[in-house]
Amino acid sequence: MTLLPAKIHRPVAVFCLLLLAACGPTKPPPMGIEDATRQLQAARDAGGSTYAPLEVRNAEERLSLAKAAAGKRDYEDALHFAQESQVNSELALAKSRLGKTREKVEARTRENAQLRQDLSTNPDTGASSQ
Amino acid sequence: MKLKIWIAALLLTISAAAPAAKTDLDYARLRASLSDLAADPVLGKLAPAERSLAEQAVQAVAEKGGSGDEHAHLVYLAERRVDIAYATAQAIDQERRLDKLDREHDQILLAASRHDAEQARLEAEKQRIQSLAQAEEAERLRAEADAARAQGEMSAQDAANARKQAEQTKRLADAQAKEAALSRKEAQLLAEAAAADARSRSPAAAAAPTAAASRQMVLNDSAFAAGAATLRPEARSNVAAIVAFVNRDKSKPIRIEGHTDNSGKANADLVLSQRRAEAVRDALVAAGVDARRITTFGMGQAQPVASNTTEDGRARNRRVDVILGDR
Repeated sequence: MTLLPAKIHRPVAVFCLLLLAACGPTKPPPMGIEDATRQLQAARDAGGSTYAPLEVRNAEERLSLAKAAAGKRDYEDALHFAQESQVNSELALAKSRLGKTREKVEARTRENAQLRQDLSTNPDTGASSQ
Repeated sequence: MKLKIWIAALLLTISAAAPAAKTDLDYARLRASLSDLAADPVLGKLAPAERSLAEQAVQAVAEKGGSGDEHAHLVYLAERRVDIAYATAQAIDQERRLDKLDREHDQILLAASRHDAEQARLEAEKQRIQSLAQAEEAERLRAEADAARAQGEMSAQDAANARKQAEQTKRLADAQAKEAALSRKEAQLLAEAAAADARSRSPAAAAAPTAAASRQMVLNDSAFAAGAATLRPEARSNVAAIVAFVNRDKSKPIRIEGHTDNSGKANADLVLSQRRAEAVRDALVAAGVDARRITTFGMGQAQPVASNTTEDGRARNRRVDVILGDR
């Protein structure tokens, strides 16, 4: 615990400056940009780019529109675009869940059919297919 | 003049009504889509939370229709909320289908292993019958040889039979040699039959030298929350012991049976015991046990191990048995 004072003070000072810069003139209303960003990341993590590429692209576009509007202090537009981005991400998540499960159902159906076939055509070695 | 005022009024009405009509169209479309989902015999019962969010979004379109941009924004959100409700309900439906397929998969594998066991049992039976026949044949030959010897003794007094006696002696030697060979073969076959028998009834026979209990472990109901099918975190060490137990022989199937006492409704107990067995299965699979080895059964109240009239007995009946090898 022997940190040099400068090592602590410098980041703190930088942080305070940033805080001042961010909250200084007018405190912008919450626009949901952070939530939309998080939700987009969740959609990507869930395989959204594969299972719902259109929705993920919509979410990306609307998120950058929201950020641009926030930059121009057009807070109402920013809020709308963030909401539209978020709902696209949520849709991408749901579609990814559906797509993945469908794939699993198809694989399992094939596997069961194959197993049944193995058992009926070659009953003596049926269990060895496991 | 009057006519002009009327026409102007009419035009105003039409122009004012146009956006309202459009609002109604969007709203009606979304509302109809949601009603279809709610009326769907399968999907209608699923994803209630997502459907409720969609309801709210559609309602917002009707209530805060307002100006063009605001309206378009609300319609955009509502459309996607309805899509989310559909996709989530379909995903849950597919997940249920997957569960069913997984259970089917377990059943197929179980049938396969039963079939294999039956084959092995039949093979052992065949070997046993063969070895019995061999033993009978050996016995017959020995009796024949004895008779020949007796005959030979009688004819010892008859010089004319001396040559025949020599012949009989040779036959005796032959028969005795044959008997010895057959005895060896019989011993070999018996050993094979025993081995095949052991394979067919693998769990019971293999465990025979040790206690029957060594092929079974019991997880009592303190491992579960009361009336629930989730394993308590404290049960983790029990699960570790079961994992070690079932990993002693990774070739053997694992049968997990859930049991309850007789205090609840039979049907509910069946479901609960099945869910508990599945919870144990899930814990084993999470610990790296091959899911394909495992079959779960909910036995409900059907197989008590103690009297249900005492609290101690009921506690012993609420259990999950983990059996290594088929029943």
